[in-house]
Amino acid sequence: MLRIENLSKKYGKLTAVDNLSLHVESGSIFGLVGPNGAGKTSTMKILAALLAPTAGRAWIAGEEVSTNPARIRQLVGYMPDFFGVYDDLKVEEYLDFYAASYAMPVRERRMIIGDLLELVDLSHKRYAYVDSLSRGMKQRLCLARSLVHDPSLLILDEPASGLDPRARVEMRELLKELKSMGKTIIISSHILPELSELCTHIGIMEMGKLVISGTNEEIVHHTRGGRTLQIRVIDRAEEAGLILQDELGLAEAPFFNNSAVLPFSGDDEDLNRILTRMVASGIPVASFSEGSNNLEDIFMQVTKGAVQ
Amino acid sequence: MKRLVLNPVLDKEFRSRMRTWKSPLLISLYLGVLALITLGYYWTQQQSAFYAGFGPEVGPQIYVTLTIFQLMLVSFVTPAFTAGVISGERERQTLDLLICTRLSATSIILNKLLASIAYILLLIISSLPFFSVVYFFGGVLLSEIGQVFLVYLMTSLTFGAIGVFCSTVFRKTQVSVVVTYVIVFFFLAGTVVITAFLARVSPNFSGLPLIAYLNPVVALFSTFPGSFSQEMFMSFGVGGRVVGANTPASNLLPWQYNFIGDGIIIVLFLILAIILLDPVGRFSRLKQLFRRKRKVQVEIDDEEIKSEAHPG
Repeated sequence: MLRIENLSKKYGKLTAVDNLSLHVESGSIFGLVGPNGAGKTSTMKILAALLAPTAGRAWIAGEEVSTNPARIRQLVGYMPDFFGVYDDLKVEEYLDFYAASYAMPVRERRMIIGDLLELVDLSHKRYAYVDSLSRGMKQRLCLARSLVHDPSLLILDEPASGLDPRARVEMRELLKELKSMGKTIIISSHILPELSELCTHIGIMEMGKLVISGTNEEIVHHTRGGRTLQIRVIDRAEEAGLILQDELGLAEAPFFNNSAVLPFSGDDEDLNRILTRMVASGIPVASFSEGSNNLEDIFMQVTKGAVQ
Repeated sequence: MKRLVLNPVLDKEFRSRMRTWKSPLLISLYLGVLALITLGYYWTQQQSAFYAGFGPEVGPQIYVTLTIFQLMLVSFVTPAFTAGVISGERERQTLDLLICTRLSATSIILNKLLASIAYILLLIISSLPFFSVVYFFGGVLLSEIGQVFLVYLMTSLTFGAIGVFCSTVFRKTQVSVVVTYVIVFFFLAGTVVITAFLARVSPNFSGLPLIAYLNPVVALFSTFPGSFSQEMFMSFGVGGRVVGANTPASNLLPWQYNFIGDGIIIVLFLILAIILLDPVGRFSRLKQLFRRKRKVQVEIDDEEIKSEAHPG
């Protein structure tokens, strides 16, 4: 669905996107993660044909973005991180305006507006002024706007920013529904746990570069073995530390308050052997389990926190 | 072409503009000012009259006063309506959403301008009853009134195109409005100053400099009936000069020269606004293509230098 090759965007001396290459398969949800100023918004704007790249090329459904913007705008539904609405229009008029801007016939517009309002749960606000909607409702309306021309690719820049927990859950459910409808979605967000739950693929950007990308499992696998060993003892933490150092080949295995979380890359048999040795040594083990790095851990590992 | 003009931007602009209380208020204020001028003039004439009724010059006098005031109002109102059409969208953070639809930059710019001009036309048309009063007094031809309305239309289109251009260039509406008013002021007063200056430095030159024809007031004066036209030019500071004498086709009237100048300005500013608005439009692609070609040329030159430095 989407292919990016050596894409760069420079604003004077500042390089916002640096030689970015990426491939997103049809029907997947690709989460673009990165600190502020990492180049996520610039990348998304280039893909939405709102910004010309300095170098490199991108293709959406086989169409090159910078040579055929009109076709790209038909294929892409874009929701920016900060957006405004026409407060003096009613919800129905607002959607009708955008549907007409995509040259849709009047009869088709009426039908699709009803469907979209139902999808984003705003049917009861059809004749209300946009001005009277809450922030969450406006976000959902903007999502409906980006769907008005039935695009195959949705580019959502921080769609859940500024929303309260309930609205965030509603937005997540909505995106899941869009996924089930077969839409390809590129989404950027700072709320990493939500992204890991929602996305099939993740890409982490920093200083304009794509640091790592792949499926959730691939990323977890690539980052320091991905898994952890979480252990808590009642007593004799020092002895437990020595055994773990030996078994895991670590320089040190520090315990804090009789608990430790250590990187682990073995299998179930390794786990069984470590636990058996500890019990055989008489160490009072209170809990022993395998954990995995979450997206937040991975993000902290692969990014240096640098912004441009 | 149909889609270019009758498009959703125009529809939305009309809907939004006519929905609020501001529109009827502005029309009322506009007509109120024109009514005050007409009645004020009528009252002054009545006070100073030696005989009952009106002299034959009263009709044209009210007409001249009204048309000049209306031109000033049009010049004042047009920047206010047009200088924020694009920068306002940018400030409201709706411009990106508009550009990423299938509407072309040409369509957005033209319809924004048309929507603003349509409202100004509404103001002008609503002032027609005052002109019918003038027509009642006599002394003014219907064709002359028609010419005046054409001058209004061209003036509002010109200042409107400048306003739309400024709102595309400047990110903030306030800056755009100020710059548009400065340019409008140049058209109204700056051209007079330059004309007066040129008249002083070259007293043997009998005609008007071309720049004077850009002034809508010159165009307006040339549409006035007979003696009023020359009287107005006298008061304009260019008395004694033969209007149109220095131009190659002197059979054209000043308002016709003004229209030619306005036409060029409108087309130029609108094309510039369209180019600036479209981030990845044809112009950007041409620029990119040129940059790529230049890069390839630089690489070829580098290769040639290297091969000359290290032959074989």
